[in-house]
Amino acid sequence: MVISASLAPVKERSTEVVEELELDVPWITLVWNDPVNLMSYVTYVFETYFGYPRHKAEKLMLDVHSKGKAVVAHGSREEMERDTEAMHGFGLWATFEKDA
Amino acid sequence: MARAFRRKGQRYVAKFDEMERGVVAGLLEQTRDIVAPTEAGEPPVANPDAFDDIVAGVSVGAEDHVASAEELADRDPALERLLPTAHRGDEKVAAEFRRLTEHDLRDRKAANLTVAIEALRGTEGDQLELTRKQADAVVVALTDARLVLGERLGLKTDEDALALDQLVATLDPEDPVVYAASFYDFLTWMQESLTTALLGRGLFR
Repeated sequence: MVISASLAPVKERSTEVVEELELDVPWITLVWNDPVNLMSYVTYVFETYFGYPRHKAEKLMLDVHSKGKAVVAHGSREEMERDTEAMHGFGLWATFEKDA
Repeated sequence: MARAFRRKGQRYVAKFDEMERGVVAGLLEQTRDIVAPTEAGEPPVANPDAFDDIVAGVSVGAEDHVASAEELADRDPALERLLPTAHRGDEKVAAEFRRLTEHDLRDRKAANLTVAIEALRGTEGDQLELTRKQADAVVVALTDARLVLGERLGLKTDEDALALDQLVATLDPEDPVVYAASFYDFLTWMQESLTTALLGRGLFR
């Protein structure tokens, strides 16, 4: 996975960030459609940050574009917060939430 | 006259004349002025339409300042677009996330914009040659600048973006919106060109 140095997710996180006791409940990171970001760029972000293969990055990008949003990652709350922050670093509109 | 990026060995190479580089670097500098962390909330937004003179006001006060709900409401919408809410439906979670991450995120965005600005300002002659690291910085910096311009241009939906050309056609050529739209189009072209070079091949091929 290639990560631009200046946008790399924070590795050391404050311990106060997460006090999540339900460790077995997965959280998700969503990316929402917006009128500015380019389809090529969104694909580039999914490929570079998440390390997804091209076809998966393209499929997620198309979901964002046509359905308005896509789940781009699953994991612990801490991981999803880190991914959301990274997506904001790239200028994508991302949120995290508990998987319903 | 600009020529699109292409990969040449380990470099990403394009042509931009001095004026084009100056315009892009200037837009990135304005974006950095908006996003760079302030120590005490945001400067007041004098006139959101004056996109070329957005940074007004003085910042004083404590470190680790956390934007209050009132400050968020008064915030320059372009800054809000650069730092969107991280949780829909739970304001407390969103506020906590903001408190913990916003300062660092703004710092990183400002630093990334600086890398891109220096790459543009540090070039002589019309050939712009970027390392992979610089190319990654520039493509993200262009996003942030386009988000600011997009906000100024009122682009809220895909339909707004598609209708931009039609809107511009109805306006006086001296209208600031026309300038903003042409800058936006130029940055879009530049970003598409660099992203395609970075991806190595077009989408769905």
